[in-house]
Amino acid sequence: MENTHKISFVNKYLFSTDHKTIGAQYTIMGVLMAAVGGFLAYIFRYNLAFPGQNIPLFGALGPQQYNSFVTIHGMIMVFWVGMPVLLAGFGNFLIPMMIGTDDMAFPTLNMMSFWIFFLSAVILLASFFVPGGAFGGGWTMYPPLSANGYMVRDPNFLSALLSGSSLLILAVALEFVAMLMGGINFLVTTFNKRTKGMTAFRVPLVVWYINIAAVIFMFSVGPLVAGAFMLLFDVVLGTGFYDPARGGDPILFQHLFWFFGHPEVYVLLLPSLGVLAEVIPVFSRKPLFAYKKLVYLALLSAVLSVVVWAHHQFIAGIDPRMATFFSIGTIIISIPFAGIFLSFMATLWGGSIRFKLPMLWALGFIALFLIGGLTGLFLGSNAFDIYAHDTYFVVTHFHYTLFPDIFFGFFAAFYFWFPKFSGRTLNNTLGHLHFWLTFVFFNCTWFVLFFNGLAGQHRRIHDYSAFSNFSGGIYQTFEKFSTIGAICLILTQFIFLINVIMSMSKKKNAVKNPWEATTLEWVADSPPPHGNFPVMPEVFRGPYDYSVPGEAKDFLPQNQQ
Amino acid sequence: METTLTNPVASRKFISDGVLGMIFLLTTEAMLFAGFISAYIVNHAGATMWPPADQPRLPIGITAINTIILLASGFLLFFFSKNFKSNQANGKNGLGILMLSMLLGLTFVSIQGIEWVRLIGYGLTTSSSLYASFFYLIIGFHGLHVLVGLAILAYLFNKVKNSKSTEDAKNTINACKLYWYFVVGIWPLLYYLVYLS
Repeated sequence: MENTHKISFVNKYLFSTDHKTIGAQYTIMGVLMAAVGGFLAYIFRYNLAFPGQNIPLFGALGPQQYNSFVTIHGMIMVFWVGMPVLLAGFGNFLIPMMIGTDDMAFPTLNMMSFWIFFLSAVILLASFFVPGGAFGGGWTMYPPLSANGYMVRDPNFLSALLSGSSLLILAVALEFVAMLMGGINFLVTTFNKRTKGMTAFRVPLVVWYINIAAVIFMFSVGPLVAGAFMLLFDVVLGTGFYDPARGGDPILFQHLFWFFGHPEVYVLLLPSLGVLAEVIPVFSRKPLFAYKKLVYLALLSAVLSVVVWAHHQFIAGIDPRMATFFSIGTIIISIPFAGIFLSFMATLWGGSIRFKLPMLWALGFIALFLIGGLTGLFLGSNAFDIYAHDTYFVVTHFHYTLFPDIFFGFFAAFYFWFPKFSGRTLNNTLGHLHFWLTFVFFNCTWFVLFFNGLAGQHRRIHDYSAFSNFSGGIYQTFEKFSTIGAICLILTQFIFLINVIMSMSKKKNAVKNPWEATTLEWVADSPPPHGNFPVMPEVFRGPYDYSVPGEAKDFLPQNQQ
Repeated sequence: METTLTNPVASRKFISDGVLGMIFLLTTEAMLFAGFISAYIVNHAGATMWPPADQPRLPIGITAINTIILLASGFLLFFFSKNFKSNQANGKNGLGILMLSMLLGLTFVSIQGIEWVRLIGYGLTTSSSLYASFFYLIIGFHGLHVLVGLAILAYLFNKVKNSKSTEDAKNTINACKLYWYFVVGIWPLLYYLVYLS
């Protein structure tokens, strides 16, 4: 409020160095990309249910386009929705507010990080319009499809550089640079800019988890960037790193890819689990169960996350002894996550639970992720995986983990912190409608596809008309049911959009601490001004002092003596 | 945003922001090179003949001299940083040593460039064999890091020259020198793996 100095529009909203504006930029960009990814999903789901028909709002879908759309859908949802919203969005909004400081350690780097990310998104979307279309070899970019073959038509340097394959690699590389800059900022800020009294074990768990996610990302991304450059050189410079005819090894790319690709799911998962760790105590009115152990469990999962990658390659021709090692590692890594979820359960146990909107999303997350996690145990065992590999069972397992993670995690955080960062309140009825319909339609979309997967239906096939066992009967009915569910799921999100627009057009009416929470961001004004706090608060206690015996109120803010 | 509120009680810096950020960046860089090196070792071990019979041999001798040049550059930067405070007290800035360190770095990358041109002339190109591809990949990425390192040292030179506060300059030196130590330190390993093994 004090800082009402004039800043031009460009400096205030476009090239702002304020962490909250950058967080909003990342979040809005992520939501826009989610709309693109969702639209692509609608197109290919429609085609799977009603093959060969004209798709409303799009037209006929060819096999090459189908491949592109599936590939880019996966890429967008993981790298252009999950990463900006969960890591960069949450990190930017929450870290400086929760540790009690005015901004990031390197504000200019932070601003550049977003604009590099923006550029990467533009390159990705531009790849739809180059000759040959966007890359269609699957989001894992395995050679030889990505290195040569029909995906890259022309051996000419410039046209190879402007192929869908090269542009995708370039976009991913830029996206990683952006996230790397963000990650360095988060870590340095958390290390060096904590307010007085904010010791390591008084830092809210979500800040811990975002930082651990940043460490996992930075540790694992190097080999993938190395692998991606080698792939790019195979495409544009004619090297043969992945070409067995010239002594290269295509499996090498899979190792380099999954060395990053598997830790990446924990990079996406940990920030959302951190949000749950904030939301659940507030609405249970109980301290988070085993706070310190949750930090150690996440650190353990970070270590284990880099020794499980080859469970994605059980049928790629790796040594069976190696497969056993990775199988065991994969099943072991479920232990820290089981510990984290059990601690959430223990926090709920005996609490006076308030079923407010953020709490509903958090509980929905746990319910859905349970299904995703349990099917993951099956897939971790290589005996079962050899059968289920590349079927809808894997796809469904994946969506039961990442959909709750990205969307339920995001919505839990959104409904929780929206009053704080916008200064406005959301409509409760529309919020309930949004939650329940999303929860029901998500299950309609995905649960039936477990059966298609177990029946052996393979993903990445454009049209099942030629396969009599899948083109009619119950499995085709399941496909139709799933598609209708998916369309309803997408339409449901308009309720959310309407809710946000309605709320933004109203006056600012949010109170400072609507949920009676303890962490530092609730001390600041709603919305927090530039610089966040008029005077930096001093911290005297841990982040989860709810229902402390003998106190008048059932919560003690961190800055209360 | 000059109006940013600074908080006097909040600073608890065991390590300055710049140094800490640089450490995280270099961890990522180390993993990038670990990716290249592991890919190289896997292919090297699986090859029947390395280097292939029809491919030119790499210039071991001149690169050994070049290695010494790069290491000398690293040592000069170390001396510059070590003597910076005492030089400041004596009213000098010691920038001559930094300049010499940069010149040696530039010499290193120039000799590498000349060698590359010769090798391409002998028929060692990116697509001539896997052996050649790895050479250009790994040595090229290192060369790129040398160029970035030189840019960082040039920035440092400028910063020290115009800096009013010794503490500020010292923090910049501590962050920037780490990058150059990384570039210099990883080179002997790459030389051994790519040229000698």
